Amino acid sequence: MRALNTAATGMMAQELNVQVISNNIANMRTTGYKRQRAEFQDLLYDHVTRVGTQTSSQGNMLPAGIELGSGVKPVGTPRLMTQGDLTQTGKDYDLAIRGDGFFKILLPDGTFAYTRDGSFQLDSQGRLVTAQGNLVQPAITIPQTATSVSINSQGQVSVTLPGSTTQNQVGQLQLSSFINKAGLESVGDNLYVETPASGPPRDGTPSLDGFGNLQQGYLEQANVEAVSEISALIAAQRAYEMNAKVITAADQMLSATSNLMR
Amino acid sequence: MQNSLLIGLSRQVALEREMDVIANNIANINTTAFKADGTLFEEYVGPTARDGDLPPTDRRVSFVRDRATWIDLSQGAVERTGNPLDVAINGKGFLAVQTPNGERYTRNGALQINDKGELVTTEGYQVLGDGGPITFQPTDRDIMISADGTVSVREGNARAESLRGKLRLVNFTNPGQLQKDGSSLFAPPAGVTPDPASNTSLAQGAIEKSNVSAVLQVTRMIEVTRSYANVAAMLAQQSDMQSNAINKLADVPA
Repeated sequence: MRALNTAATGMMAQELNVQVISNNIANMRTTGYKRQRAEFQDLLYDHVTRVGTQTSSQGNMLPAGIELGSGVKPVGTPRLMTQGDLTQTGKDYDLAIRGDGFFKILLPDGTFAYTRDGSFQLDSQGRLVTAQGNLVQPAITIPQTATSVSINSQGQVSVTLPGSTTQNQVGQLQLSSFINKAGLESVGDNLYVETPASGPPRDGTPSLDGFGNLQQGYLEQANVEAVSEISALIAAQRAYEMNAKVITAADQMLSATSNLMR
Repeated sequence: MQNSLLIGLSRQVALEREMDVIANNIANINTTAFKADGTLFEEYVGPTARDGDLPPTDRRVSFVRDRATWIDLSQGAVERTGNPLDVAINGKGFLAVQTPNGERYTRNGALQINDKGELVTTEGYQVLGDGGPITFQPTDRDIMISADGTVSVREGNARAESLRGKLRLVNFTNPGQLQKDGSSLFAPPAGVTPDPASNTSLAQGAIEKSNVSAVLQVTRMIEVTRSYANVAAMLAQQSDMQSNAINKLADVPA
């Protein structure tokens, strides 16, 4: 009975939906997290009788055929790359991007990753690193003697040295952007890596050429909305239950048939 | 006497098919822009029953046959998502999509951008504008899709808007002829070309939900299982009757 398999695809799809929603809720407070959405599409149709089939030699045709669907399939879990809210932290090395762009991070294996999480720190040599200790690209070193650090909206990093009233520029932060941001691959730790679908990165200066600007002392919050996630969770759970009911109903029909034989 | 068994069987086959359609509707209750299917049954007067040689009591029998499934093209609920690449279609129109099998039509407005900057469906098929696919530049930001499908962006740091094309919205004079092609796509029958859509508008930042009504499908499902069980019980009685008859009639006293 086809209904059994069809309902099973429905249950599997809703299970995946709940997985995606629960990951969104778990990351509600993750800096720079972008929420995902499970996208579904209907599966192949079995055209038992095709619409438009001639029913007589006089040219009469079927106005509607018999199409039996075979269920649902998940097609993707695209990330919604919308801006998250900014919260003030007051920390010197906390940076939020307002607008388009990612920070470029050098991974230990020599490849690059991209992130919206700007909660940076300094390592033992005064270099700007992520919370995992990976270097921010281009590398920026803050002199040990610096008394204050300021990063402006265009990504220029300036420090004040003791005995000096003027600021010295020690580096320029850059951002990278992709034509298809949703095509980036998530590798955890708030990092994304380039894929054939995302296209190559385009590097540039913040607040120029369509790149967003930087905000020192702020962090970007996750763009997860609690209300919409919870309502999606309820819808997914109910859909799961209904598919389970279809399996029960199909099972009842089958048992009615098998009871015929005595 | 065999007729009642065969009529019952025809009913069961039809019910099973209706169950398949209901299962597919419920499986797609959360599928973006899914359109529910319905079933149509018709009375089928068998050629044997029409035969004049049959005894008059047998001439009245007719079977049930599933004639067609139809697509309920009514509007689904529109849900706000806030994603600039989501569009919901209000009205009867469809978006035109270029697939390897030719042009297809969809109401699923959960769109994406591919690595070449083209506007595509979740499956990666190009969404067509009035002049072919709609392509964005790497510096484009603030994508705006207006109610009539005009796609505009802000390029780089420019304040003015630049046009990127207009989504092609189409209508069919007889949408009932459309065939489902899977993946939220509809295919028109051969020789049918769509017209430019009228009375159709787009809402950016929203998607159309599935138009499957849970209450309707679940009640239909209960009805189907119950009638299936009833027919099965009727068939069992018939078979009892036959075995009784055989036993009684064959019981020749020694």
